[in-house]
Order: sequence, then structure tokens, then C-alpha cells
Amino acid sequence: MAQATTRERIIDWLKTMTFYELLVGMKATMSHLIHYKPITLQYPHEKRTLPDNYRGMLALLRYDDGTEKCVGCDLCEAACPSRVIRVVSAEVPEEPTKRYSKEYYMDMTRCLFCGMCVDACPVDALGMTREFEWAVFDKRDLQLNKQQLLAIGDRSFPVREKRLELQHPNVAFFNVAFKHVPQKPN
Amino acid sequence: MTELSLRLAVSLAQIAAVMGIVMLTVMILTLAERKVLGWMQDRMGPMEVGPYGILQPIADGLKLFFKEDIVPAGANKFMFSLAPILAMVPALIGFAVIPFGPNETIQLFGMTIKPFVISDINIGVLYILAFASIGAYGIILGGWASNSKYSLLGGLRSAAQIISYELNVGLAIVGVLIMSGSLSLVKITDAQAGGFWHWYVFAFPAPQIFAFVVYVISAVAETNRVPFDLPEAESELVAGFFTEYSGMRFAFFFIAEYANMVLVSCVAAALFLGGWNAPYPGTILAHIGLEPFAWIEGVAWFTVKVYGFLFLFFWLRATLPRLRYDQLMKFGWKVMLPIALANIVVTAIAMYIYNQFK
Repeated sequence: MAQATTRERIIDWLKTMTFYELLVGMKATMSHLIHYKPITLQYPHEKRTLPDNYRGMLALLRYDDGTEKCVGCDLCEAACPSRVIRVVSAEVPEEPTKRYSKEYYMDMTRCLFCGMCVDACPVDALGMTREFEWAVFDKRDLQLNKQQLLAIGDRSFPVREKRLELQHPNVAFFNVAFKHVPQKPN
Repeated sequence: MTELSLRLAVSLAQIAAVMGIVMLTVMILTLAERKVLGWMQDRMGPMEVGPYGILQPIADGLKLFFKEDIVPAGANKFMFSLAPILAMVPALIGFAVIPFGPNETIQLFGMTIKPFVISDINIGVLYILAFASIGAYGIILGGWASNSKYSLLGGLRSAAQIISYELNVGLAIVGVLIMSGSLSLVKITDAQAGGFWHWYVFAFPAPQIFAFVVYVISAVAETNRVPFDLPEAESELVAGFFTEYSGMRFAFFFIAEYANMVLVSCVAAALFLGGWNAPYPGTILAHIGLEPFAWIEGVAWFTVKVYGFLFLFFWLRATLPRLRYDQLMKFGWKVMLPIALANIVVTAIAMYIYNQFK
């Protein structure tokens, strides 16, 4: 480090004596007071616009005709890093080739909203809604069953339109209803 | 007998009025501090209770009033209850000698009454210093009686800090006392009449500008405010000496802190900035022929000066980080004390020479 010259030391001393650094700081706070532009959002009264890919509350989705999309494949349960999901799979009665989730539980107290279950789902039966106000007084209210999850999906996606551009071609195999999905590349 | 009871009634009325004003100021301060601090940090401050949050102090008061009054296990119950009172009473009692307005007298029922000062005693400054020191006992006892390590550490820090900075406050005031030749705040304020060049910060033979700076810094330290808030350093000591206090006892400490701020600002305004004197000779209201209402202007100037000081407290809090403990002690003893002592010497010599040639 270079030796401070006498002039520099005098300037330093004068700065200390006149509280120069303090005054600079106080000028900064004062300028914030004068040019008062709060970044606060008065939350319960006004809410921010959520981004398009917001990952909120999980929900189970239905097809347009009202049937559940879930085929009970357990992939979401396997993908979940926090073991939130528990699926009990069963055959559809009188249709031995089809399966569905007889019971479907989510323990939202553990969920970290990573969205891996949504990615893992081959039939797009899981979705992330834009709900986030899920504070409850009883922790047990966050352990959701299938009916509750379907209800969340129904109220968040009243119009069940698929976003085809986001769908992977591999998924088309399961979604027989959508014939116009491009073919799997060779 | 009747005269005695009349005097008592008048004094009680004056005390009630001053107490009411001080309590109102404290209420305003609790809101104003949060608002100003919020504005300086690009926030809004309290906004929920009432329009723009102006009813927040009332909500806070009600909340504290209904909170459970907890005495921690193993605490010395008597001392624990005594400490908030010991902190609050000295803070409020100091206002007895502060002149809020012109030194006028009115004749009422054959008695001479000074409407703007409760009691004009000739040791006013000494009285305030003495009671400010007693206020430290409240903090120290509160810290000790809580039976908690954080409270104890806060109390001990407060003891050391108040001893260090009380001294500087006292020595900074001495310069003013030499120049005015009186300890009565009324006389000191009267001596500064007639324009801001007569205020003791700028007054001719020995401007007390250094004493003023020392006084302001020491006053911030004495009231335990940022950047000298070590007794209640929330990042180190939870809440310092009132960690264990809740409900009304906590409110007492809180009121004491803010009342101390007001008191210190009043003393600074009265000693250094001319009290209720306007920065120009006389008053505008007297010049335009409204002599009986000139006191309004005096009181307004006093209020402006006091609130200016209080704003400085908020401003410092929004700007500065907390000092380390050894820095605090070093600053008090090695910087502030020599400056205050040198100021006394210079003032004394200047006044001596000035009086020789007068």
C-alpha cells in the first residue's frame, strides 16, 4: 500500500472532523425521502401480477367431458422429492385395460412446489394453479384428497383447453383424443 | 389557605397540560418515526389503521394495554415493577423547567402566573441533568431484575454508556452556562432574544458550535438511539434491557425513551437555538400590531425547533449503523470529552476578555 502523502492525510483528517462520510450517508437517505417512490405493494388490497410460469397450488385436472385425466401410473409419486404424493391405483371397473387412481393424497405441508410431478405426469393430469393464499389454522387442512385436488383444478381451469405448444410429442401416445399432435420424430 | 389551594390548582392544571402535550408528542413520534424511516427506506410505514395509518399509535396503545403482564420466573418482582416507573418518571419530570413560550406573566386571582413554564427554578439545567441520571437507574434495574442474560448485558451496557455520555452532556452545557451566567432555562432563553446571531450556537464572544455538536451526539447516546443503541441492540441482545417486559411495563419503557428524546430536544432548543425566540428580532405578530398574540409565534418557533431535532433523530436512525462497543467508549472518552473540555477553556477565556473590554 502506498504511503499517504501529507495532503491526503490532511484531507482525511478534515473529512473526519466535518463528519463528511456521515453527511454523505445522510444526504442519501434524505434524497430517498424527497424523491419518495415506495416499492411497497399493499398486499391484501392490491396483488402483483404473477408471471406466466408461476408455480402455485397443485391440482388434478379433467378432460373436457369431465373424466379425470389421471391414469394412476404413480410416476408423480416417484418423481416427488418430498414424498408429498400418495397414489392408490386401481382398474376401472368393467374395463380391464384402463386404470385410474382410486385414491390420491397430497400432503401439502411438505410440498416445495418444484413442479417435478407436473413434469413427470405422462397425461398432463397434474397442473400448477396460480393460487398461493393457502395459509390455514389447522395443519391437517393441508392434507388433501382427490376430491379436493379435483375441485382446485376445476376452479382454476374452468375452461380445460390444452396448451398444445407446451406438450411433448411423446405424450401423444396417451392422449388419443388429440390426433393433430405432431408425430414422434424418428 | 385559599391562595395555596388556588396555586395548587393552577400548578396542577399546568402540569396536566404539559403532560398531555408531551404524551401527544410521544404518540405522534411513534408514528412519525415509523413513517419517516419507511419513507427514507422506500417503504410506506404503517398504512392499515385509519387513513394512511394515522391511528396506528392508538392501536398500538390499546394492544399494549390488553397484553398479558408477564413477570419472568426468578425475577426480582419488586425491582422488576419499579424499573419502568423509575425510567418513565424522570423522563417526564424534566419538562417542569422547560420554557415553552415567552417569559410573560399573567395576573389571575391576584397571583402572578407564568403560563409557559411550570416552575422557573434557578437551577433548571442542574435539575434536568440530575433527573436524567436517575433515569439510568430504571434501565439498569430493569436489566438486572429480569433474571435474563440479555437484559443484564443490556443494562450493564446502558450503565457504562450513560456514565460516559452524561459527562459530555454536562460539560457541553457548561459553555452556555458561562455565557449566560445562569442555570435557569428561562433566563438562558431570554438572553438569546433578538435574532439568530444571538443564539448561543452563533453568539459573539464564543460561538458554542462545538459544544452544540458534542451535545447533540451525546444526547443521541444518552437516549439510547441509533447509532448508540447498544443497550437495546436487537441483533445482539434480543431487545436489551426490556427483553422480558411486556404489556404496560414495556409501554412505560417505550414512553420513557420517546419522552427522553423530546426532553433532550427541548433542552437543546432552549440552550443552543434560542428556545422560543424567532431567528429574527422580535416577532412578526408584534410588528403588525397583534402584540397579545405574539406568544403564538414564540410557541410555534419552539415547536419547530424541537421537531427539527426529533427529525434529526429519525434521520440518523435511518442512516447510520450501530457502533461497536469499544468504538462507543473510545469516541466518548477520547474524542467528545477533550472537545467539551477545550470548549469550556476557550469559552471561559473569551468571556473573560470580552467582559474586560465591555
